[in-house]
Amino acid sequence: MLFPALLSIALGLTAAVAAASPLKIELSPAPGNPAAPRMGDRLAFHSVITNTGQQPIDGVIAWVGLLKVDPGHEQPVDLEDWSAQKAVTQSTLPPGGTIEVDWPLRLIEDGHYRLVASAVSRSGEIATSPLADFSVQRKPVVESSRVLPVAFGVPLLLLALLLHRSGLSSIFRRATRA
Amino acid sequence: MNAALVLARKEGGELLLGARGLAWLLAASGALSVFGLLLVSNSELSLLDNAQVVYDMAATITALGALLAVIVGSDAIAGERERGTLVPLLLTPLSRGGILAGKLGGQALTWAVIYVLALPYLWAVGSTGQNLAASMVALAVLGTPVVLGFGFFAMALSARLGMARSSLLSALICLMVSASPLLLGPGLRQSAIGKAFDTVNPFSAAVNAYDAIIIDSQTIGAQAASLIVVFIWFGLTLCFARRSFRGIVR
Amino acid sequence: MLVKVEGIAVAFDGAPVLRNVNLSLREGEIYGLLGPNGAGKSTTTAVVAGLLAPAGGRVRVAGMDPVTAADRIHGLMGMLPERSGFYDWMTAEEYLRFFAKLHGRDLGAAALRERLERVGLAPRPRQWIGTFSHGMRQRLGLARALLNAPRLLILDEPTSGLDPRGRRDIHDILIDLSRNHGVGILMCTHLLDDVDRLCRRIGIINNGVTVAEGDLGDLLAAQDCLARFQLHLAGEPPDAGLPAHAHLVARDGERYVIDLDPAVTADATWRELLFMGWPVTEIRREGGGLEALYLNATEQRIQ
Repeated sequence: MLFPALLSIALGLTAAVAAASPLKIELSPAPGNPAAPRMGDRLAFHSVITNTGQQPIDGVIAWVGLLKVDPGHEQPVDLEDWSAQKAVTQSTLPPGGTIEVDWPLRLIEDGHYRLVASAVSRSGEIATSPLADFSVQRKPVVESSRVLPVAFGVPLLLLALLLHRSGLSSIFRRATRA
Repeated sequence: MNAALVLARKEGGELLLGARGLAWLLAASGALSVFGLLLVSNSELSLLDNAQVVYDMAATITALGALLAVIVGSDAIAGERERGTLVPLLLTPLSRGGILAGKLGGQALTWAVIYVLALPYLWAVGSTGQNLAASMVALAVLGTPVVLGFGFFAMALSARLGMARSSLLSALICLMVSASPLLLGPGLRQSAIGKAFDTVNPFSAAVNAYDAIIIDSQTIGAQAASLIVVFIWFGLTLCFARRSFRGIVR
Repeated sequence: MLVKVEGIAVAFDGAPVLRNVNLSLREGEIYGLLGPNGAGKSTTTAVVAGLLAPAGGRVRVAGMDPVTAADRIHGLMGMLPERSGFYDWMTAEEYLRFFAKLHGRDLGAAALRERLERVGLAPRPRQWIGTFSHGMRQRLGLARALLNAPRLLILDEPTSGLDPRGRRDIHDILIDLSRNHGVGILMCTHLLDDVDRLCRRIGIINNGVTVAEGDLGDLLAAQDCLARFQLHLAGEPPDAGLPAHAHLVARDGERYVIDLDPAVTADATWRELLFMGWPVTEIRREGGGLEALYLNATEQRIQ
């Protein structure tokens, strides 16, 4: 409960700062996104970064941040496995100019998520997009707790049998006794 | 006890008690273990749908079973001849047909061992049990004639060519040709030649049936076309083995 | 006649291996089949065993054709091929039990032990055949060949690679089988000492043709290949002279050269000489005998 409140306040403050900045960024889901995405599905979001000022903006960097917002399990998500598109840069954005960016995501884990896009310039202008919320449904996948014992146990059993039949087990016993 | 059954038990014993047979089983289980570990450790593979994983595992088990059947079959006559154990067999009252029956029984025992070894792997990856039982039945009903067919084919080559290495090489090439559509991917299988080959290929028939049963939740009874192909393959290879065994000399 | 082979011919891929081979073996007899490497000895035994069909000639084993009655003949014969492989992952008992079952016999542990002890193999319940020496494998192969109490035993180089004790043990077993159990034994071998000791009748094959066949004594006499020995004495021989089957060829002081009739073994002759009081200090073979017969026979070329 506390975390979303703090997040809202932080974003509100940022929005207030951003409101004065000529740098604007929008975030919207792609029209082809599945309605009820599951683990393993792919989502895409689209951003438009605009220079609403009269002066060019230098050194623009735009990126996305993903947050897991399940109650009691709120945490930022490392985008390592989720997305290859980590950040976009442009050396100069002329007045009225725009940058269009697509943010593809592979849904790795189930849960409720909040995506936000941000942009900064060299001179310190900052902008954040509206939040995009989505949920990922769980689907049945392979459980390591089942696979690991079988994957190691069966070969080990056969190896023990092989060693026994090869007589190596008796050599091992003699060696350890010595 | 029937002499052919005695021989079949000996073949099974060689697999389970001989160092060579155990090494083959160890290699097969190693391959399944690597596949299982990849499924849990690789982020791409770990997201695969459960039914897809069970289907992939069933296809892999069938391929491994066929590979082992080819190895065992190639050794059946030529290997015994090269090791000097064929003549003592030929000197028993066991006829050529009896030797064939014993060797066929050995092949069946080999596949049975692989099947039993593979069941824990299927259970491990089929965590929610979606079509898990159906996959085990499909593997038994469809995988058995495919695997044994390759074994019979290799045995026939072993009897005709007289050299274990030559028969193994020839049988492996045939196995790879049969499995090639699965390796080449769906695009090539959609071509006219690919479709024609798919129609008569026992491997394709079994794997397509696994797809229908495990992923699409169809029944085995609905796989008549695939069942016909695999059982024709089984019958043809059995006949080939019988004809080839008639001419065995020392 | 247990085995009768008349004029058999065999070819592999058009190349003749046997052209005209003859032999006959009676029950209770040990027949030595000799010849150089590649002469066709193993091929001949394969034909007799019904493993190979001859292109010409006639073969009868216990009155049956081995080609058409192979199953029945395999029930009355045992064979130890030259290159006999084993299932290395089995124990000796398991191996014999397996082959006994193939012959339709279910032997218990005691019976298996007896079969192994008969060939000089102590029971080794936990030792796999893969760890056996060559001599142990030969003995095990012989035990396998004797599983079904055969009337005919075919042995291809049964004592090759064995030490003198091992060879003597195998000889004793074969002599017992032929004399006391009436087993006819067809034995391929290069070892002339084995033939000398065991065989009354022999056949010599060269280039796929039988070049000598029949009673060993008759063959030696016919080829003028009586066994010749040089004896060195420590003094004068007794007045009784030599036994009837020993013939003085030459004498030079205390050195006597004698020929022995093939009907009597050299060992028996020396024992007799010692009992008669001959002061023999050294005996040396001077050629002749089976070696000369073999060398003469295998020098003949086919026209």
